[in-house]
Order: sequence, then structure tokens, then C-alpha cells
Amino acid sequence: MTDKKPQVQIQQERTYPRFDLGQRWEHGLLVISATVLMLTGLPQKFRDLSWSQYLLSTPHRLEIFQQIHHIAALVLILEALYHIGKAIYQLSKRKLSAEFFPTMQDVKDAGHMLQYLFFLRKDKPKYGKYNFEQKVTYWVVFLGFLLMIISGLIIWFPIFFTDYLPGGIIPAAKLMHSTEAMVATIFILIWHFYHVHIERLNLSIFTGRLSEKEMKVYHSREYERLNRKSSKEINKPGDRK
Amino acid sequence: MTTYNFQRLKISSLTAGIIVLLLCFVFITPARAGQPAQETDKYCLSCHSDSNLSMTMPSGEKVSLFVSLDSIEHSVHGKLGMECEACHTNLSTFPHPQQNFQSRRDLSISLYQACQKCHADNYEKTKDSYHAKIAAEGNKNAAICTDCHGYHDIQVPDQPRSRISTTCSKCHAEIYNTYKESVHGSALINENNQDVPVCTDCHGVHNILDPRTANFRVQTPEMCARCHADKTLMDKYGLSTDVYSLYKTSWHGVDISVYKARWPTIWHDSAVCSDCHGTHNIFKTDDPRSEVNPKNLLQTCRKCHPDAGPNWTGAWTGHNKISLQRTPMLFYVDAFYSSFTPFILWICIIYVVLQIIHAIVDRFRSNLP
Repeated sequence: MTDKKPQVQIQQERTYPRFDLGQRWEHGLLVISATVLMLTGLPQKFRDLSWSQYLLSTPHRLEIFQQIHHIAALVLILEALYHIGKAIYQLSKRKLSAEFFPTMQDVKDAGHMLQYLFFLRKDKPKYGKYNFEQKVTYWVVFLGFLLMIISGLIIWFPIFFTDYLPGGIIPAAKLMHSTEAMVATIFILIWHFYHVHIERLNLSIFTGRLSEKEMKVYHSREYERLNRKSSKEINKPGDRK
Repeated sequence: MTTYNFQRLKISSLTAGIIVLLLCFVFITPARAGQPAQETDKYCLSCHSDSNLSMTMPSGEKVSLFVSLDSIEHSVHGKLGMECEACHTNLSTFPHPQQNFQSRRDLSISLYQACQKCHADNYEKTKDSYHAKIAAEGNKNAAICTDCHGYHDIQVPDQPRSRISTTCSKCHAEIYNTYKESVHGSALINENNQDVPVCTDCHGVHNILDPRTANFRVQTPEMCARCHADKTLMDKYGLSTDVYSLYKTSWHGVDISVYKARWPTIWHDSAVCSDCHGTHNIFKTDDPRSEVNPKNLLQTCRKCHPDAGPNWTGAWTGHNKISLQRTPMLFYVDAFYSSFTPFILWICIIYVVLQIIHAIVDRFRSNLP
């Protein structure tokens, strides 16, 4: 840097693959469909309030909101079918990654993290590829959206479902759909947004990759595991596994 | 002795006479004040007390001109001492001026205009009514004041209360026959119940509106709620006041309240009370004639949901609060979320707040030397 000549310094940082293209697309569809569903669903849930009536100011607008809600729901359902179908396919080929299933290690990590948060420990837990926070996010969203889809379909096609199921399913599904929507929204806004936007800006779901620094700090166990494995074979920067 | 007695008798009879005279003033004066009109009435009745007196209208109708003194004396106006010409404003002299009415109805329509001289408020209200609307469209049979209240023998309209329903039945006989069988009508007519609604309680009195409009429809729940959300009244009959509050939160109820608030003139099919319970044919829900009796419920639902299967009625929570006995599925979902929602909310908040506190403390420490 002491040299006066302008010098272009190319900093090459090793990155690690995290999400493949399919997963990134899935997340994108999920973000779009869930946002649309939430924005068109909340005014319907709170129809007795004036802000909702301001939006749904004519019967025609209400119909449009419902149609958009149904289209977004179809996108979400197709996405969910693809997601589950892919998992079943991978399972049949014995290729399903076990990394996102909860394990005892996650319970230990959560206990460790709580001790850290209460200043009882100085170090954070060493996480694998997915930490327990991320697994909680995945499973709460997965199960929540499953409930939303099932209850949503029941109140979308009530006559069809009551041909096979007892009628009591309809008010139950209605209550579930409207309550679970609030739970999912609150969860994503507080839990997920804090972790990926405020704690640190984690864009790996869009870029697909994590930097070496991020790997060292936030997924150190995985980082160590990968480097142990690749100490012999040379892993070029930017390489895809 | 005799003279003395005679003197005393004279004095006492004089005193008695004065007392009787005073009493006469006390008692007779109001009695006379009650019927001061008898003078002019007598003048009119000198002809009109003839029960054969009649005239023939150009339409060929023979109109009796007989007026019964008895009915006048017992009417609300007679008791106040009103005179004939108070209403028959153009007939104060004899011979009467020439009248140019084609029919008896034309005559009535002309005469009832006199009512507004004293009853301007109610007369104005009738102008908004459906009766006035169809009258303006040329229907001469549309009810006018005298059709409901009568003319020479006008009585207090709601004494007894069942008089109101009988009055309406003069034209709306079929509806009255349905109503008198219903839970409301039979209580009124058979038990002289003063709480049940008569025609005017739902339809209004002078400004009776067309009950088939979207506007009337969206007002229905509030109309029924006037009694059915009144706890003291409903407790008397062991009925629940939850019917209205729970309806308001139901799909049907929310729809209707939104339409009432925003688009009251746009017809909306979401069910109001009368769609399921009936209008004039309302029965207790355990009465097999009731449209919401379990036996008839599916048929009633199918009026709007024609493809509904037999399980469909189970979707109806029947204006009941969530309970394990009646709505087990709803009960479990409600129980789950009433603990799960605050649980997940607090977990999220506490965990995130702890992390924020830790991050702030870390930053503060790293700035220390």
C-alpha cells in the first residue's frame, strides 16, 4: 500500500455452498406467495375493522382479494407438493440429507445458547450446517404452512370435505386458518427476521453461498468438518460440492 | 216545639239544597265539558242518525251516510269532544257543497287528509312508507290512516296489544294466519303475552318499509337483537342472549355487518336471522315445524348451499359458545391455540430480546479499553 501506483487488489474469499438453485427458488416462491397470502388474508380476517373496510371498500374488491388469495394459495400448494415430492424422491434414492432433522445436539446447543445469553458461558455453541434456530424456523414454517394449506382447502371447498368428514371440521378449520396465520406471521416477523436481517444480514438463501468468515463464526463445527475432509483434496474457492 | 222543628227543617233542607247544588257543580261540570260537541253533533246527527241515509256514487257504489252516535261517543275523539267538522272540514253547512268523488275510495282518500291537521308527525312518517309508495304508483287500495285506525269509532291502536296484528290482518290475512301459529303470534293471541313482537315491532308503525329490500335485510339481525340480546327479557323465557353476539362473529354475521356498514343497498345472500328461522313462521327450535329444527336443518341450509351433504349441518355451531360436548373439534383447536399462540409469541420475544441484550453488552464491552 506504500506504493503510489494505483493497484487493484483482488481479494479472493473462499465461499461454501449452502443452498442449491432449487432451494433458493423454493424460498423465493414461498416469500412471494406467503406475503401475498398474508396481505390478502389479513383484511379478510379483520373485516369488521375500518382499515380492512377501507381496503375492501366494494364487494368487487373483496372478490379480487379472495381470487388473489386463492392464486397465491395454489402457488404455495404447488411449492409444498414439490418440496415434499422431492424429499420423498430423495428418500427413495437414499439421498435425503439428514442435516435438517432435529437431533439431541440441537437440544444441547439450545441449552448452551441460553447459558451464553444469561452470561453463564463465554462461548457460543459450535453449530453444524444448520443451527437449532434455523431448524426451529424450518419446522415451525413447514408444519404451520401444512396446517394453513389443509385448513385453507377445507374452508375453500367446504361442501366437498363434509361429504367425507364430519361438519365440525369447518368451524375448526376456519378458526385454525385464521389463528395459525397470525402465529406464522408473528413467528416470521420476530424470529426469522431477527436472525436473518438484524443479528446479521444472511443472504445465503439468495446467493446460495456462505463466506469463509461466516462459516467460521456461525457454523464452525461444519467448517471444521469440511476442512478436515478437504485437507487432502484441494477445494478450490467457489467450488460447488 | 213544632215551629222550632219546622224552622230547623227549613234550615237543614236549605243547607242540603246548597250542598247538592255545589256537588252538582263539582260532578256535572266535567261531565258536560267532556261532551261540548254534542251541540254540533246533534245538528249533524239530526239527519245522519237515520240508518237508511245513503248516497250513490258515480261508480255505482251505494255509500251509507249513517253515523252511529254510540261509536262516536266511545271513540278517542268523541271522548275529547271533537266535532264532526274537525274532520269533515268542508261539510260545516247544510245544504252541503257539491262533492265530486267517483267512488267511496276516492272519498276516503280525500277525507283522510284531515288527519294531518292534528297528527302531522305521523302523517309525515307515512309518506316514507311502502303504502305511500304504492299509492303514489296509483294503487288506490294502499292503506291510508283510516284503513288501520278506523274513522268514527277510532280506538287506542294498541289496546289490547293484539289489536295491532288484527288491524294488519284486514289486508294481510295470509301472513296473519301464519303469524298467529308462530311462537310469537300464539303467545300474543292465546296467552296475551305483552313481550312478543306484533307486526309493528318489526315493520315499523307509520313508516312501514318494504321488507324485501337489501336495506331491510341487513337490518334484520339488529331488529331481532332488540329483544333477543336483551338479557332481562330473554332470561324470562330461558333463552340465550349469545345468539346475537355469536352470530356477529360468524361468517354470515360478519358478511352482513360489513354490508350493513358499507353497502346497505347492495343485496347480499349471507344468511340473516329470518333466512333460517323464518319470518312470520318462527317456532321454537325443538318444534318440528321450525325450519331450524334438527330434522329440517339440512333442508334449510340447502336453500343457499344446495349441494350440501348430510354432514354439513355439523358445521353449524348453533349460536353456541365453543364447548367440548357440542363442538369438540373447534374446542380442541381453540384450546391448542389459546396456549400455543402466546407460547410461541413469548418464546420469540424473550429469545430475541436476550440476544439483543447480549449483543449490546458485547458492543459496550468491546468499546471499553
